[in-house]
Amino acid sequence: MDADPNVGKVTIDDVVIRFKTKQGEITALDRTQLTLEPGTFTALIGPSGCGKSTLMNAIAGFATPSEGNLTLDGAPITEPSNDVGVIFQQYALFPWFTALGNIRFGLKQFKLSKNEEIDRAHAALEEVGLSQHANKYPQQLSGGMKQRVAIARTFAVGPKVLLMDEPFGALDAQTRISMHSLLMDVWQKHRATVLFVTHDVDEALLLADDVRVMSQAPGRMIRHYNLTQKRPRAFSRSGPELLEIREEILGLLRPDEDLTVT
Amino acid sequence: MAVTQTTSPSAVWRTSLGRVLTSSQSLVSFGFVLVIWSVVAALKIVPDTIFPSPWATWSALTEMWQNGTMSKDLRVSLGRAVVGFSIGASLGVIVGLMTGRVAIVRTFLNPFLNLLRPIPAIALVPVAIVWFGIGEGSKYFVISYTVFLTVWFNTHHGMQYVPDTYLRASRSLGASKMREFLTVVIPAAAPHIFAGIRLGVALAFLSLIAAELSGASSGLGFRLQEARQYIRTDRMFALLIILGALGAAIDYLVHRIGQKLVHWEQG
Repeated sequence: MDADPNVGKVTIDDVVIRFKTKQGEITALDRTQLTLEPGTFTALIGPSGCGKSTLMNAIAGFATPSEGNLTLDGAPITEPSNDVGVIFQQYALFPWFTALGNIRFGLKQFKLSKNEEIDRAHAALEEVGLSQHANKYPQQLSGGMKQRVAIARTFAVGPKVLLMDEPFGALDAQTRISMHSLLMDVWQKHRATVLFVTHDVDEALLLADDVRVMSQAPGRMIRHYNLTQKRPRAFSRSGPELLEIREEILGLLRPDEDLTVT
Repeated sequence: MAVTQTTSPSAVWRTSLGRVLTSSQSLVSFGFVLVIWSVVAALKIVPDTIFPSPWATWSALTEMWQNGTMSKDLRVSLGRAVVGFSIGASLGVIVGLMTGRVAIVRTFLNPFLNLLRPIPAIALVPVAIVWFGIGEGSKYFVISYTVFLTVWFNTHHGMQYVPDTYLRASRSLGASKMREFLTVVIPAAAPHIFAGIRLGVALAFLSLIAAELSGASSGLGFRLQEARQYIRTDRMFALLIILGALGAAIDYLVHRIGQKLVHWEQG
């Protein structure tokens, strides 16, 4: 089920997303142009309400662009599918299934034999280091473990693109660091195209090939950094350039008039 | 938080029911009421025929057990409640799943069903007797009607509150609409459905007695009415106690079954 290195190209072409509200129409995402190359890891940073989640929902097929084209490997994205996996901040595990059951839920569509389905679900849990928790229910697992199950569940259905909406935002700093290295391991094995939305500049710089910074609402892309530092990265050993970029992004996210963001 | 059950369900049921009945709090409460009741009866403020003593009630109860009317009435009444409840609850769940999921069914049924909800069950008894006579049919009708509306309403309500992230997760994992409905929507609505079923059980009891009080020739409600004709308040009290105990036991049982089936909802 590992993704082909040449699939998973997402093209966001002049996309605008507007919502109708009681106060009239609001633009959640201003005209946006962005290409996610196959197998790359892009981080999207921006102040709250800048439209990064809106963009993500559109790529996931949960929302339709008001203008422009959104395609995956040339085909328009019209509805959710297992080609585009989503990792939610609140895990979205089904509490009525065990960890294993949650993964098997996604595997059902492949119509495997029961044994094969179970074997593959176990293998997916193994990959995130949770084999011994297969029969626990989500509410018996810690936040970090839940997110590991969610990651295993999503990768198990072989997505070409993986969208992560502040996936580690609810975790403590220590857990977050171990989640970063786990994500890097699993991602390097499956090589899906990743779009990772975060508030956390450090997280973006440590993980991504590409860091995109968005403006305040209505959101548009205002800056783009291409990172080539070797992984695993750390601010202490990845060179002064990373720290300079960090300062720059923090400056961009800090509006002159107030300090409400980041 | 823990969900795994190490003891068997029947063991859990025995120990917790035992805990409820023997907990010092309920002993104090039951003892208190019994003492007040005995004192009031012994003082003979009101005649024994109007307000029976605990011991008169007890002997009426044992009398009804021994001459066999109690077990027959219990069997008849419970049979009616079970049949009426089963029809009403299953229809309620099915229609609730449909109105919750299918817009066209919702458009056709919801306004009408919401209009029916405020009509008290007792008001239906005369209609039921005209339609189905004083036999079993009218009891089944009244009970299943009230149970249906409550279970339908709760099921429908639960369907409306299925969290959006569950649906999004299901769809982006590539699940079909059918799998989503059966293994995401229904479990997500299950806690509401069970709340409706528990209410439905209580209402089945209520409407059972309402239906039996007028136009019946057997059952606990009929026996109450009969006791009124002979001014046997001791029997009435005995029957009321039986009704209370039975209702509490069944509600407890349904609650435990619900906890087992929607085990993820606790704590």
